[in-house]
Amino acid sequence: MKRRIFLKNTLATGAAVIAANAGLLTPTTVLASWNKEAFTAKSTDGAITSVFGTNSAATSGDIQLKAPAIAENGAVTPVTVDASSMTGVESIAILASKNPVPLVCTYAFSGAAVGYASTRIKMGETMNVIAVVKAGGKLYKAEQEVKVTIGGCGG
Amino acid sequence: MSIKIRMRGKSKGGVAEVKALIKHPMESGVRMNKKTGKPFPALFIDTVTITVNGAAAIDSQWSGAVSSNPYMAIKVNANAGDTIALALTDNSGASGTQEITLK
Repeated sequence: MKRRIFLKNTLATGAAVIAANAGLLTPTTVLASWNKEAFTAKSTDGAITSVFGTNSAATSGDIQLKAPAIAENGAVTPVTVDASSMTGVESIAILASKNPVPLVCTYAFSGAAVGYASTRIKMGETMNVIAVVKAGGKLYKAEQEVKVTIGGCGG
Repeated sequence: MSIKIRMRGKSKGGVAEVKALIKHPMESGVRMNKKTGKPFPALFIDTVTITVNGAAAIDSQWSGAVSSNPYMAIKVNANAGDTIALALTDNSGASGTQEITLK
């Protein structure tokens, strides 16, 4: 049995299969394990539920979601989510509604962090970019359509 | 194998914007290899953490849908002279770290 556990831990190095395993391997960093369920969910609602526990998010004008109206190259779509005007921002998730796996990235904030995230994402076709912000225990979202003229996922 | 990261940060009025460029293929696992008809295996950065003076600030998780050679920008409450450290790992176990002192 011991040997089994050891093997499992060794294999978990990259995949971070279970939080406990990841904890054993990297005791110096306080890392939440990679949310496999959320990053394999095929629907936006499913992904949001896996990340935040619920998918009932109110549309909020306080979230500034910056994304191009037309992306010439879907493989590099700049997306900026600015929720710094909101108080008590705990986390931000960015989703692309029609991607094979909609959830693109999540950011959890603590300490000195400001509720702001900017990144570049891949989009296979014209779809909505959704930003979900958890602030003060409640979920808020903002959506914007991005027209993609060249596919991003097909290479 | 360590992942190369370029990082820059500047503090203005107590809020610092930190930008990072990471060299990584970010293979989603969906893209097809036309020669073999099979998809390229997924290889992407899955966790990124940022600390300010050693204290955890941002814990980020990514999927393969983040663009290759990812760019990220974040903001933290920090002043000039503070140390910002970025640590990341990909799903193959490769990792990279970078540390800067804010200007």
